Amino acid sequence: MSASEMQPSTPTPPEGPSLDVAERRAPITWGRIGTYVGAVFVALWILVPMYFLFSMAFTDQETVRSYPKNVLPFVPFSTSTMRFFLESEGVASGLANSLIVALLSLILSTALGAPAGYAVARYLFTGRDVFRLAILATRAFPIVVLSIPLAVLFIRFDMFDSLISVALMHTVLALPTSILVIASVFASVPYELEEAGQVFGASPLQSFRHIVLPLVLPGIAASGVFAFVLSWNEVFAASVLTLENRTLPALLLNSLSESSDAYQFAGGFFLMVPSLIFMFFIRKYLFNMWGQVSK
Amino acid sequence: MVAPTVKRRRPLTPYLLIAPALLFLAAFFGYPMVQGLILAVYDDEAVLPLLSDPGIEADSVGTLPQGTGLTVLDQRANLIEDEITSDLLTEDWFRVSALDNNDQTVEGWAPETRIRIREEAEDGTPLAGTVRTKLAAGADPQTTLFAEASESADVAAKLDARTRVRIEEIATLELWFLVTPQADETEVDQSLEGWAPSRFIQVFGEGENGRIDRGTDGEFTWRFVEKMTEDRFFGPAWRTTLLLMVLILPIQFVLATLMALIIHARLKATSIFLYIYSIPMGMSDLAVGILFFSLFTGNGFINSFLEGIGVLDGPKSFLSADTRNWIIAAIVLAELWRATSIVMVIIVSGLQAIPDETLEAAELFGASYWQRVRHIMLPLLRPSIQVALILRTILAFQVFAVVIALGGGEVVTVLANETYRQYFTLRNTNVASAYAVFILLLSIASAFFYLRAVRTQDELSKT
Repeated sequence: MSASEMQPSTPTPPEGPSLDVAERRAPITWGRIGTYVGAVFVALWILVPMYFLFSMAFTDQETVRSYPKNVLPFVPFSTSTMRFFLESEGVASGLANSLIVALLSLILSTALGAPAGYAVARYLFTGRDVFRLAILATRAFPIVVLSIPLAVLFIRFDMFDSLISVALMHTVLALPTSILVIASVFASVPYELEEAGQVFGASPLQSFRHIVLPLVLPGIAASGVFAFVLSWNEVFAASVLTLENRTLPALLLNSLSESSDAYQFAGGFFLMVPSLIFMFFIRKYLFNMWGQVSK
Repeated sequence: MVAPTVKRRRPLTPYLLIAPALLFLAAFFGYPMVQGLILAVYDDEAVLPLLSDPGIEADSVGTLPQGTGLTVLDQRANLIEDEITSDLLTEDWFRVSALDNNDQTVEGWAPETRIRIREEAEDGTPLAGTVRTKLAAGADPQTTLFAEASESADVAAKLDARTRVRIEEIATLELWFLVTPQADETEVDQSLEGWAPSRFIQVFGEGENGRIDRGTDGEFTWRFVEKMTEDRFFGPAWRTTLLLMVLILPIQFVLATLMALIIHARLKATSIFLYIYSIPMGMSDLAVGILFFSLFTGNGFINSFLEGIGVLDGPKSFLSADTRNWIIAAIVLAELWRATSIVMVIIVSGLQAIPDETLEAAELFGASYWQRVRHIMLPLLRPSIQVALILRTILAFQVFAVVIALGGGEVVTVLANETYRQYFTLRNTNVASAYAVFILLLSIASAFFYLRAVRTQDELSKT
């Protein structure tokens, strides 16, 4: 559920956060060296546990069971643990289910969020602030609270245990963030650019298509990636809303007590991979999602 | 606040643009939330009306609450008049034809208990049989055939025992019971006596006793809330949730501030550090639970390391039922690892909003780095920290998968886990909703608490 934490507050244009490192180079002092040491220590605190888990996921099952563990990397390197996990019952379909649900959430939250984000960024309308506040409140809402009644409703409408219903739930979780991120992305493209296009003879649609769209596409992609990661990670709602059609996290959670360490470690690896890849692409939008929260 | 750049040119356009999102949230967020609140305090199966006659169209003579113990006075089989097919106690009736003792061909309905089947078709359908002998002394030795499949119908004929009958038709009937509250049910009207169909009643033993399984009419009730507060896991769950919060949040905010200051210090590789620091943000709480399980488990890395440097002689068990404190320690570490990034990002955003000139001016006046942090950055960061506190607290009420992965969910339990247990294991949707509403109220209360606490400080600083 941690991806759900990457929810924005008041958005700012993407160029707001300054990652330009070399802007003001301080002279090398002891304090600065200390900062580097601290930075590396914190990085190790995050990386070392992950390294241990990954080395377990890529070794043979004998080593996973062994004690004491070797702290050297991936000794012996083997894909047998990984193969064992992938060939276990339900894992292949769980992976496929997770992928389908995550893609559906991505599509739904982008399709619903983009127009709303555009409206918030471009128009002053009665109720705009209420809408923004409602979105903010939705974002902070506990997943746990929503899952139970939603499950009851899905059972009532015969939609229980379907991938669509999980995707709908995940879209509820991702949509507020999508709207606010997309709004901030549109706001970063001045409307004058669109107008300039129209001055030179483009139709409003053409100037949107050829001027605005290329500029906002990376930001919209980031919000989509966010929805994907959120859905991929989400455990509680997926466990409550499914029985047979488990997504990978729901499958893992419900087999924790009877599964082997090798199975769990390989499963953990699969849960972590999207985060590793996608955080790299959306890292500069993190501040965008959170920029100037206090205003 | 984003400044919109177009003003009311086409007044309907923005509403059309937000309509899909709004409708979606209304359908899948607003509506279920209201339903969730209702589920926690409303029992739609609370009371069962008893009827004057066996038949769904009869008048109600009074209602009894779900769970009332019953004495069964009589029973009757009735045609099933609607499509409900679950939880029924049924009785098959046969339409039979036979020669009576006057050699007249007669036809009528009799319950299956009165007919011994002698001949069956290949698919098991009974074709013919004989009338059973009545064993009870003093009973009418003949068996009655009724005009319709009901003991209250007109008598069509009477047959002697052992008469051969042809079975023409089979009807499945639901049993109805004439019930009255048991003597020890002191909170209900003892004189009440009426009929109810089997689908709402559980009958025990020889069929003299029963209890109301579910009602048909709803009522508001605190029953589910009471069931939650009286649950033996309720106390441990909220205490552990709060304990985890108290243990995690202070360390987390110090650590997050340090990480934010590192990012803000504009080191050479800030971009890489930022990426590494934000990795846990995109990570599933279940994955993090498994990650720390791999460290803390009996043959895990922590034991391997401790034995390697000679602190331990053999593997120590951290995550077993009698090492509750170690499980909590592992959860605290996992949550610190996982959820510090989000706080860091909020604080970095806050730091970036502080103008460089302010810090440079302080530096010119001789403020050391720590003086600048203490007297300029931290006070200016207060609103950011407030937002981060609200968010982290709300998330802390929901901690779930980490706890299950590290502690199994029994020895150490939290509110979200109890919600899940009530819903999934115990199938108590209403009690699960009560838990969910409890979490919601705690979240709202803590948000207001933080908002007030910070506002009070602001007001104090103005005077």
